[in-house]
Amino acid sequence: MNTRVLSVRRDIQAEQKADAAAERERLGRRGTLVINLLSSPGSGKTSLLEATARHWAGRRSMAVLVGDLETDRDAQRLAPLVPVAQLTTGGACHLELPLVQRGLQALGDPAVDFLFIENVGNLVCPASHDLAEHLRVVLISTTEGDDKPGKYPKMFRTSQAMVVTKQDLLPHVPFSIEAVTEDALKIQPALKVLTTCAIDNRGIQEWCEFLEQQYQEKIESVYEPAVNR
Amino acid sequence: MHERSLVQTLLNQVQQVVDADGGGVVKEIQVQVGDLSGVEPLLFESAFAELVTEWFSQECRLVLDIVPVKAECRLCGQCFEVQDYEFLCPACGTGPVEVIQGDQVKLMSITVDSEKSVSGAKS
Repeated sequence: MNTRVLSVRRDIQAEQKADAAAERERLGRRGTLVINLLSSPGSGKTSLLEATARHWAGRRSMAVLVGDLETDRDAQRLAPLVPVAQLTTGGACHLELPLVQRGLQALGDPAVDFLFIENVGNLVCPASHDLAEHLRVVLISTTEGDDKPGKYPKMFRTSQAMVVTKQDLLPHVPFSIEAVTEDALKIQPALKVLTTCAIDNRGIQEWCEFLEQQYQEKIESVYEPAVNR
Repeated sequence: MHERSLVQTLLNQVQQVVDADGGGVVKEIQVQVGDLSGVEPLLFESAFAELVTEWFSQECRLVLDIVPVKAECRLCGQCFEVQDYEFLCPACGTGPVEVIQGDQVKLMSITVDSEKSVSGAKS
């Protein structure tokens, strides 16, 4: 028997990572900041996007790709406000880049300022997939408990911002913003922490200002102004 | 459960590498999995056991090498092993720190017997 050992030493996801980097470059160059929103189901991703769209109405352009296992309920909520496409995974627990690219095509690849990807509600698998985002934001609602960063560390380690949602419920639930912040900052010391309530708009202006600042840092100061935008 | 799609990607790559090298029977696949890769080794192994026969055979062994997370402080340059996902620099306590090891899923090597051709159920 003639046995040989082939040395490979290659990242299994190298091809997907290169594809994501190329797509991120393409979208950034033409002036679009891509934001990947991740959280548990029901933490308020769609509500935050509705509040964001209302805040920016007519002043900043945005589009949303909505990931879900089934139904287009979230897309229907957002459709009156912004261009939106549904990405139905049919059972898969996370989005991958080819599905995002299909959603972009369905939208006609619009040259918006902000493209939001509302990922499938899940604090585990979505952390392992680069969707060509410039910014990864994890949401945690006050009803979920403040112990989540330590329990799902990769999600918080790979995010650049954490938005605590449903601030209005703080008086009624055992949740400490200080505790969740301390827990998250051990995992990601550079994490930006914001607090919002999409119902009464608390924190929405700060959230939108943060996104505009990210736009300036990651798009305007990095890429040449796009032609014919 | 994204381990299944990762294993599919892995087996596809193994097939390509072995085909490009003249074919053969794949006996062993060595993979590095970092503690910060988001891969659960047990789930990866069970997905491998289920899928490997579609490409190769049950005799094809998976060897997983689990790699601990190491980081380097960008301020003071201290390198340290990350315990319990605490990414604060133990020397200066401020950070930020950069992960230098432990987030990889890497195909390291493939052991092949050359005398029989690969079964190759999938391309």
